[in-house]
Amino acid sequence: HPWETVTTAAMQKYPNPMNPSVVGVDVLDRHVDTSGKLHSHRLLSTEWGIPSIVKSLIGTSRTKTYVQEHSVVDPVKKTMELKSSNISFTNLVSVDERLVYKPHPHEPDKTVLTQEAIISVKGVSLSSYLEGLMANTISSNANKGREALEWVINRLNAEIEEFTASARGTMRNSMAAAAFVEK
Amino acid sequence: MNSVGEACTELKREYDQCFNRWFAEKFLKGESSGDPCGQLFKRYQICVQKAIKEKDIPIEGLEFMGSNKGKTENSS
Repeated sequence: HPWETVTTAAMQKYPNPMNPSVVGVDVLDRHVDTSGKLHSHRLLSTEWGIPSIVKSLIGTSRTKTYVQEHSVVDPVKKTMELKSSNISFTNLVSVDERLVYKPHPHEPDKTVLTQEAIISVKGVSLSSYLEGLMANTISSNANKGREALEWVINRLNAEIEEFTASARGTMRNSMAAAAFVEK
Repeated sequence: MNSVGEACTELKREYDQCFNRWFAEKFLKGESSGDPCGQLFKRYQICVQKAIKEKDIPIEGLEFMGSNKGKTENSS
């Protein structure tokens, strides 16, 4: 899909069926800077199935984790960069992600996504369990992210069609990097 | 999609609709002058900031909020 489509979808990414754990999204700040780039600071709240053994350590009242996301869209250079890191009351696990969407250098109807994630788990004896869980989740999330945007793009297209028809209707440190070519 | 503060969801939806339209139709096409959503955003923001304080969400690095570290209670 062309960069404009992917970027528009990325701004409206939630809710989507591939990320059922995201339960809330809010914009904390948004402004266009002096060079014409749009900065957005967003807060995402997620509720995900924490294993009961972890819950018994951190307490059942703290099952929501929050993600802080900073995105920059440059409409002239056609880049969108997303940086997110999780904030949680326990600070056991931190996940920092960076995604960059750019038009494909040779095929203008496609978008390239580069994605990296840094996962850190601090000082808990369950660290190897959590690391394993996180590493699997992060790499399957990379694909999920692409599917999620595909879903949002289809939804937006369906909405447009409907409208024109009726009108006449995201331990120890580990790092993963992936590059995708978006259709 | 809901807001982090349940009471803010309606304000958020109104703002989101305005923003998404402006983003796709104006901003990406190079016309970033004039933001028609300013008023909606302000109203929505006031609600969200209140909700964040109430829920003691520890956000750092943002001007309008001091970070709230330390013991937290159940979210309301």
